[in-house]
Amino acid sequence: MAKYLLKRILHAILSVIAVVMIVMILIYSLMNRQLIFSSDSVYAKTTNNAKQTYMLRKWEEYGYLDYVTYSDYLQMLTDSGEIDEDTRAKVVNFARKAGSDSEEVQVYIDKFNDYYTKKGYTVNRLDAVTAGKKLANGGQQQYYAYKDKPLISRLVTYFTSIISVDNVHYVEEDLENRGITFTTHDPVYGGEKFSPAIMGNGTKYKYLLYCNDKFPWIHQNLVTINLGKSYSVNMGIDVFTTMISSQGSYVNSVITYPTGLTEESADDLHMATYAADSLDSSIVFTSRYTDHYTSVPTVKGGMSKMGYSFSIGICAVVISYLLGVPLGILMARKKDKLVDKLGTVYIIFIIAVPSLAYIFLFKAIGYKMGLPTVFNVDSTSKLMYVLPVVSLSLPSIASLMKWLRRYMIDQMNSDYVKFARSGGLSESEIFSKHILKNAIIPIVHGIPGSILGALTGAIITERVYVVPGAGNLLTQAINKYDNSVIVGVTLYYAILSVTSLILGDILMSMVDPRISFSSKAR
Amino acid sequence: MENEKLLDLEELDMPEDELFSFIDNSTLDSEKITAPRYSYWHSVFRVFFRKKINIVILAVLAVILLFTYVYPTVTDYDKYANLLDASAKHLTPSAAINKFGFSLRWILGAGASGESTFDAIWYGSRISITLALICAAINMTVGVLVGAVWGFSKKVDIVMQEVYNIIGNVPYILLISVVVMIMSASFWSMVFAMTVTGWLYIAYFMRTQVIIIRDREYNLASRCLGTSTMRIAMKNILPFMTSVIVTYTATEIPSYISSEVFLSYIGMGLSDMSLGKLIYAAESAMVTPGWQFEFWSPVVISAIITVVLYVVGQNLGDASDPRTHM
Repeated sequence: MAKYLLKRILHAILSVIAVVMIVMILIYSLMNRQLIFSSDSVYAKTTNNAKQTYMLRKWEEYGYLDYVTYSDYLQMLTDSGEIDEDTRAKVVNFARKAGSDSEEVQVYIDKFNDYYTKKGYTVNRLDAVTAGKKLANGGQQQYYAYKDKPLISRLVTYFTSIISVDNVHYVEEDLENRGITFTTHDPVYGGEKFSPAIMGNGTKYKYLLYCNDKFPWIHQNLVTINLGKSYSVNMGIDVFTTMISSQGSYVNSVITYPTGLTEESADDLHMATYAADSLDSSIVFTSRYTDHYTSVPTVKGGMSKMGYSFSIGICAVVISYLLGVPLGILMARKKDKLVDKLGTVYIIFIIAVPSLAYIFLFKAIGYKMGLPTVFNVDSTSKLMYVLPVVSLSLPSIASLMKWLRRYMIDQMNSDYVKFARSGGLSESEIFSKHILKNAIIPIVHGIPGSILGALTGAIITERVYVVPGAGNLLTQAINKYDNSVIVGVTLYYAILSVTSLILGDILMSMVDPRISFSSKAR
Repeated sequence: MENEKLLDLEELDMPEDELFSFIDNSTLDSEKITAPRYSYWHSVFRVFFRKKINIVILAVLAVILLFTYVYPTVTDYDKYANLLDASAKHLTPSAAINKFGFSLRWILGAGASGESTFDAIWYGSRISITLALICAAINMTVGVLVGAVWGFSKKVDIVMQEVYNIIGNVPYILLISVVVMIMSASFWSMVFAMTVTGWLYIAYFMRTQVIIIRDREYNLASRCLGTSTMRIAMKNILPFMTSVIVTYTATEIPSYISSEVFLSYIGMGLSDMSLGKLIYAAESAMVTPGWQFEFWSPVVISAIITVVLYVVGQNLGDASDPRTHM
């Protein structure tokens, strides 16, 4: 079993990597890059050379290519100590036309060219565009190098950076006393309450491990998952963080800042991250913080995108199993009777009618019944969950009924049922003890899939009821050409789907002892 | 004593040729197997039309097809004909009939630019139904052929399983939207997007069906008797598949209409005014009092179209199962 599982997991990982690769080819190689500018007003306004560099800069931000300008290169040389600041300042300005540079500048221009040509970059120099003697709008001379990111290295960097472990060398600037400290009395709670925490200095997050009153009570910041930094959907924030960070309005509470200042605020000090040279930048920070860990997110009242999707999804899953399984059994028992016919009509309705149509139908019915049809993050009413849950569970009830009925009817004709009947067992005994046990196995296989599927959210339902869930993230990312979000969400979907397949197989072998993965198939 | 009675022919009062008599063993006759005349497709239609409800549904389907393919050719529909007439916009059926006089085209009212909702729906459903039929034809043909090979060959199975696991995990919307972005949102790029991987799921389904039947005893016996694989596939397995294929097609065609509606609704569909696009465009009309007709008409019509196609297909699938021909 363990060997089989290991093989399955390896297979799953390989297919997930293949999926990500296909998606990367689709969006980075096949899709027209010019499309990202289709609704960009800045792009429309810039002209001449500035347009060229603007395009390259944007493409770099969207992850298509590496783009280095001449001045970036000089800055890099200065940082590494190869040239000093004065030289940099002297040679950073190059002439309007190629070939008319001073000798000193020409040395570095050639160096840049050699360095990047060797690395496979395309080096390009744009002469200044002039209008008379003056520079035209956006006509500044440009000197830069760029290179498309090759697929394999993109893939490797992506997968190696998914899980990052925070360490004390994260902060590059000089710091005194780098290291990790352990405290039993968390200063966030005023230092009086017993609450153990591990804090770091030099790490990205100030708190590596801390306790609070929220589930699961002990939280960590040591290991973070990065699925890809968003560019246009949620600027600069990782996809995974976008999915799990809470939404809604601020929740204020009395907190004690490191300086001792107590104040009513929504700042979440436990999530403080390092922001270089920020302490002295503002009086707000100096009065509250004692170090550069000043970048704090806020505590919000609502659930996360994933939280909303999951709570709606899991309700729908529970309801559909609670209703779908008994109804399927009933249909099989009363085959060709009225119940069966009514059930078939319902199943046909759900299969044949476009899902959009019946979701709108139920929205209209719910509206007539006075149920809230629009989701409100700040409302505590549980009624707003009713319509999304109903819309989600209707199709899954139908498919459960359809398949359970099919499996049970198939079993009803088998020999062991006839034998049980001739042995004198009552119909209800045959159904509950013999047929159901055999017919439910394929249904059991789908349970992990439907539970994990609740995490991905539902596109139409969330859109129709304006639920701030995870389901729309992919469509949103596609519409905004946010490539790294697309890749991240795909990876997330792929991982969930392969995991649910493996879990389904395990669950099936647990329910049915006849299914065994350890020995070879007969 | 009784023997004597029976031998007495006169007492029985029967002609001699009605009694048992010996016949010679004819080698020619013993080679023939006689059975009632059976034509497969004849029986399919006999069983199909035995249910009266099927005739009604078929009639509805005929009306729908008439409206989708013939009606648009005999009427000239111009979406912007009444664009400048402010009083022609967003009309309820009764208001539209009052304004333009009674005609079939105004029985569902008028839309956002004063166009006839009725005409718009049939123009849209022509696009949607054509799309669904073409996609279903391509996907079913490729899927069934590939699925048959996939089911028969173990080597192909190993490769295709992996392909299926990988492609099955690429989000469907992503694939469609990328194809639409690369190739523009035209009708044929939509067909391409829906068929580029769509056949894979059908092939997988067919593979399972072929595997179930492939190893049955009668096929083993047939192979032992020296039947070629081609003949086993064509004569032993394909007849079993017909009802499965027809039933599957019945679910496929409406599902393409549904997914076209879905894609248009999330803004990734066709640029033409298909049924989905009509619903998408009229979404805001759903909550506006008095405008609801614009929204519900395409929704209801698309529901009717898909249900009718589905029911006809399912019943045809049932009828094409030889076990129902008894």
